[in-house]
Amino acid sequence: MKGMTIIVKKVTEIICGVIFLYGIYIIVHGHLTPGGGFAGGTIIAGSFILLVLAFGSEFLALKKEETGSSILESSAILIFIVIAALGMLMGGVGIFFVNFLPKGTIGQLISAGVIPLFNIAVGMEVAAALLTIFLALLIYRDEVLK
Amino acid sequence: MIIYILTVFLFLIGLYGVIAKRNLIKIVIGIALMEYSVNLFLILIGYVRGGTAPILTEGLGQKVFVDPLPQAMVLTAIVIGLATTALLLAIAIRIYKKYGTFDIREIKNLKG
Repeated sequence: MKGMTIIVKKVTEIICGVIFLYGIYIIVHGHLTPGGGFAGGTIIAGSFILLVLAFGSEFLALKKEETGSSILESSAILIFIVIAALGMLMGGVGIFFVNFLPKGTIGQLISAGVIPLFNIAVGMEVAAALLTIFLALLIYRDEVLK
Repeated sequence: MIIYILTVFLFLIGLYGVIAKRNLIKIVIGIALMEYSVNLFLILIGYVRGGTAPILTEGLGQKVFVDPLPQAMVLTAIVIGLATTALLLAIAIRIYKKYGTFDIREIKNLKG
């Protein structure tokens, strides 16, 4: 697809990284403030979608990118299941999703055991999945309109 | 009470879009509006006046929480709604490839 004008490109260059960092902030502080994996993941996917919409992309590059985001999505699910299985192995009670790490003090950034790790896995999953859906629709449209 | 009626009004706007519009993309937008109004209604049911976010924080006294159960349900509903919208748009693109238009009257005419 085609890109947009130079004003949109310059503004996107400036704010795109800030949006990405804000998404990471939302994900990492998911156990302290409202937000978490899903909200932060959508914000990160939004920064990538903004980049694709503003600068445009070639058909082959889109296909390559879609393969990469699809692999990232699958590996995020794998990380989620591995952490849950680690809870089964190391928790001592033998069930999924046991919080086996030390809890820490309430209000600290590194606390609440495995919950921040799950948040990070969910954030990766949601960002990659939303990006995959967007890129798949874009590729599909390009194929249809050709 | 009036805020619940406003969500019903938003639902009716989406229903109008589905029934009265002839463009497929506008129908998809109407379905999405209906979905969002139902989500908003469920979230408003769980709201408690003066309540904070249901997260364990440091200065936890006997504060009032909003109900976290509708929030978890609506989060699931948002994800399902996203998948539904993506599927509808994919079908709309496929119809556009076959008939060359988004107007449902034209599609009906071309069929016979």
